[in-house]
Amino acid sequence: MTWGDALLIAGGLGAGFLSGTIGIGGGLLFVPTMTVGFRISQAVAQGTSLVAIVPTAIVGGITHIREGNVLLGPAMWMGGGGVGGAVLGALVAVEVPGPILARIWGAFLVISAYRLGLQAIRAVPSKAA
Amino acid sequence: MLGVGGGFVLVPLQALWAGVPQRFANANSLVAIIPIAVAALPIYYFRKGSPQVDLHAALFLIIGSVVGAYVGARVLRRIPDRELKIGVALILGVVGLKELLIP
Repeated sequence: MTWGDALLIAGGLGAGFLSGTIGIGGGLLFVPTMTVGFRISQAVAQGTSLVAIVPTAIVGGITHIREGNVLLGPAMWMGGGGVGGAVLGALVAVEVPGPILARIWGAFLVISAYRLGLQAIRAVPSKAA
Repeated sequence: MLGVGGGFVLVPLQALWAGVPQRFANANSLVAIIPIAVAALPIYYFRKGSPQVDLHAALFLIIGSVVGAYVGARVLRRIPDRELKIGVALILGVVGLKELLIP
């Protein structure tokens, strides 16, 4: 095991923790860990990230179910819809230029962040569930 | 197919439009990612022609991330909804701005 491997494990730990708490796949940290830390190309980093997301989501998902954090009905609907969306997305992504796609995506995220922020500010300070 | 699992769409959709509490929104999203990632993997492979995966990097990332995901899922219950929502908003905002400015 080298320092590089240790760095990968550390990046994985961070990505996994975010994945477990925020509910994202972990690709957010997997990809930059590889591209910035190891100069792995974007394409290979994305492919590798996708592989790493599967066990991360399985362990995180099962733990969430056992913790009682999951509404199984909506989760199943979203999973099913998401599979369809992924196929559609793969087809669209080939047609639309990358930068345009990234900007639409960025705008969606910024608007969501703004509205979630508003929601949080308006909410009365909550106690831990 | 931007290389993300889909959680970035699922989390805000649930919390904003479906009114799901943040804790459930985040946990539901991670469960929904499982079939999405499993389905996306072969599509990604076939579209790219040859598999583009660094298995060595994947192995060590997974060792870390599986532990991290377990710990993250266990502590989620202890984080108040409001603080959780602020955290989600901050992360979405930073990633969103990055995509807008440096696509």
